[in-house]
Amino acid sequence: MSEPVSGCQAPVDGRHPMTEISATVNGRKVTRSVPNHYRLIDFVREELKLTGNKEGCGAGECGTCSMFVDGKLVKSCLTPVQKIQGATVETVDDLDRDQGMTVLQRAFHKCGASQCGYCIPGMVMAATSTLRRNPAAGLDEIKEGLGGNICRCTGYQKILDAVQLARDVLNGSRPESALDEDAGTSFIGHSTRRLDAPGKVTGAIKYAADLWMANMLHLQVLRSPHPHARIVRIDASKARRLPGVECVLTCDDVPGVDNFGVFIEDQPIMARGVVRYVGEAVAAVAAETVDIARAAVKLIEIHYEVLPGLFDPEEAMRPGAVQLHAHAADNICKHTRIRKGDVDAALAAADLVVEETYRTAPIEHAYLEPEAGLAYVEADGCVAVHSPSQNITHHRHMLAKILGRPINKVRMIMSTVGGGFGGKEDMIYQGMLALAAIKTRRPVRYVFTREESFIASAKRHPFTIRYTMGLQRDGRITATRMVMVSDGGAYAMSTPGVMNKSAILGPGPYAVPNVWVDAIGVYTNNTPSGAMRAFGAFQSEFATEAHLDLCAQRLGMDPVALRMVNLMRDGATTHTRQQLDRVLAVDCLQAAVAAAGWDAGVPHRQGLGQAPRSDLGGTGTRAPCTLGARLAPMAAAEPAAATVPAK
Amino acid sequence: MLTFDQYLTPATLAQAFDALEGLPGARIVAGATDLLPWARDGRAGDVHLSALVDVSKLPELQGVGLADVAPGRIRMGAATPIAAFQHHPLLQQQAPVLGRCAVWFADDQIREQATVGGNLVNASPAGDSQPALLAMNTHVTLARREKGRILERTLPLSEFIVGPGQTLRQPLEIMTRLELDALPGHGAAFEKVGHRRSLVISTVCLAALARLDPTRRRIEDVRIAIGAVGPVPERLDDVEDFLTGQAATGARLREAAELAVERVRSRSRQAYRREVLVNFIERALVAALAQAGLEIQRVPKESGHV
Repeated sequence: MSEPVSGCQAPVDGRHPMTEISATVNGRKVTRSVPNHYRLIDFVREELKLTGNKEGCGAGECGTCSMFVDGKLVKSCLTPVQKIQGATVETVDDLDRDQGMTVLQRAFHKCGASQCGYCIPGMVMAATSTLRRNPAAGLDEIKEGLGGNICRCTGYQKILDAVQLARDVLNGSRPESALDEDAGTSFIGHSTRRLDAPGKVTGAIKYAADLWMANMLHLQVLRSPHPHARIVRIDASKARRLPGVECVLTCDDVPGVDNFGVFIEDQPIMARGVVRYVGEAVAAVAAETVDIARAAVKLIEIHYEVLPGLFDPEEAMRPGAVQLHAHAADNICKHTRIRKGDVDAALAAADLVVEETYRTAPIEHAYLEPEAGLAYVEADGCVAVHSPSQNITHHRHMLAKILGRPINKVRMIMSTVGGGFGGKEDMIYQGMLALAAIKTRRPVRYVFTREESFIASAKRHPFTIRYTMGLQRDGRITATRMVMVSDGGAYAMSTPGVMNKSAILGPGPYAVPNVWVDAIGVYTNNTPSGAMRAFGAFQSEFATEAHLDLCAQRLGMDPVALRMVNLMRDGATTHTRQQLDRVLAVDCLQAAVAAAGWDAGVPHRQGLGQAPRSDLGGTGTRAPCTLGARLAPMAAAEPAAATVPAK
Repeated sequence: MLTFDQYLTPATLAQAFDALEGLPGARIVAGATDLLPWARDGRAGDVHLSALVDVSKLPELQGVGLADVAPGRIRMGAATPIAAFQHHPLLQQQAPVLGRCAVWFADDQIREQATVGGNLVNASPAGDSQPALLAMNTHVTLARREKGRILERTLPLSEFIVGPGQTLRQPLEIMTRLELDALPGHGAAFEKVGHRRSLVISTVCLAALARLDPTRRRIEDVRIAIGAVGPVPERLDDVEDFLTGQAATGARLREAAELAVERVRSRSRQAYRREVLVNFIERALVAALAQAGLEIQRVPKESGHV
């Protein structure tokens, strides 16, 4: 797209022109004056306080903001508010017309089609749209209708089940009683409805970004553009003078011991003297509106002295590398070692030694709910912070130290979590919120944008795993050596725990007499790595399982047979010398093999000119979604019976 | 974030020109589905404009019907939402390739907002409507105002888009309508691949149209247009020439598809795109010919271009 014409400037005071909008929203006529840059989602959530629909991405990708405008479902984050002038808008908040729940919402409840619930308002709207358009929509059409909506807790199957159930109840092919909870004497073996589902399928439940208090301020954060720089000077005088700004915070405002971290408390709530990654918080503004807070952030001048950065963990460990933290020699944040038996001797005696290096990538959790929080000071002086924190007790202890107040003057309230996956264990914004509430004596809310969530929050640790395995000709593993180096990024966050778990579980559920594991988490100037689903075990076990497939190929063995030989059995001793009583690994693999219809043989049989596998694409394999369920049949083409087969 | 001094919704073309001429730096907006995501961190960042001029309600930009002056042509207002590709009865009957394109275009909801004119004016190399419209021999009409009079010019879509995000539209011109062939007798296919099905930027996309001669063995007319594999979408003239008037066989379709391999000029994933492109051409032709009434078996093959 073309560049904007220069000379045209956004209001430096954050006060945008207002526009008057009249529309019918959920059956009620409304006329409101709002900033002219508002989108439909802002109008509905911020102005009308209808918070059932959420904002997940702000870019039309996720669909949790989907609402009807004049009967057509649209992404309200892509709709300038002026487009609803005189229009009729339906949000999820009143979809049931005060009748409790719609059949679709009841079906979502019945089928367990809500987990974190943050995508569900949009899913319900998209499903409503699909069934309004075609009450007989088939599965493919339903999938298409929901194609613009993302669920991150992986609940698609239950959602599709729910839409089909609702369709059938609505068209009478299944009785309404199908929406009732299954009768059963035990919870085990029965589908039990979630207690929090009604609030989620109707949009009634409040997430942190949905909270609103009288006299509330809005927080915005200035973040570092540099991966590594010394902060020479912060000049916030212009921002402080801006009308509507209630406070500007930097590390100088922190009264207590300014460090947080899940295992090592090495991170200040705002950068202290030095920034160590792009996106690190440097200063925060609390103001009357988000617009004023954003404008004030732009008025803060930071003078940086850019320092050389470290972006590769191997380089960071080299002698002479820049030291990022005083407490971490060679930038090593955590080195976990497992030593069992004599790996060198076992490798020397092995029939086969297989070496390979495996790499995994950093990835973002992308929980559908971006980080958000609300803090206020209660009448008794206790500061309360609502946030979707995955670790409130630890956060409370850390925050009390940071704020320099007794723990009974700090309250952490876990708001409904719109997906976390480990990414909300780190207290990356609650400190700023609490401080702003204490400074201003007013409630303060902070809602991340999706981009901010990406840039500021932890990622899954990327690993480089050098693997050496010794085996006997019969497939028995005699020795495993894993040397794993992981980029922990700028702060420790969960790196020590992730290193421990990746090491402990890395060699897999296999009885290996000689084991050597190094798991080294290293500080760099990359985005910090933290907890994410499986907490390090995914990375090391991926390497182990990939490596076993490679070993099976070298041995000419069936990969399942190779694993069967080596799986731990009752009475096994783990790599960390824990004595196990009962081990069900063999039963588990047998069940998986049976369910998959596994076709035994060497993994590379097609490359050897043998017959291809018979277990791919068979029954139980889901067909890919092919779009076009609603396409009109070709009007002009001849009937199929008239087609002529070609030579 | 996108901010602006004014948001104007003119009721007439004349008012729209008043706005554009009176407010330097004003920007035309229709569906806004590309504009709002563009003005965010990581892309253009915060953008402030003097004005947004919303042309989506202008009467001159509405409507789908048979063109009155040009027989065999369809006339479509530039503000027609992409959803109409799928749901408008005339397009279902006379331009079925558009419906096949639409199901791959973003998602149901964005198709209700996004306009055909916007997809052409933005000229993304991965704009999904472009190959389908190129295959329909689309012309676009641009309106401007000179000395108080509204003037129009019409040019072929194949000339209109000149590079990524670049078109021959002048800053004070508004695309008002499109005109394209009515092709009720052609079989039609649209192919697209990206990282997922919905809401995805094309890695390769392609439209194919084919019509048989009265013997129903020879290809009378064939049109193939590709997108997302180079800076601009293009018609595969050489492939079309190679097939026109020829008997359609699996072997000939294979040979024709291979002619396109050098068309891939994108900056990334070239080998993958070559492989996909030639397979798409062949598969799309087979599908289009089947709809036109001729079933052809594809010749088995191994991967060739990776």
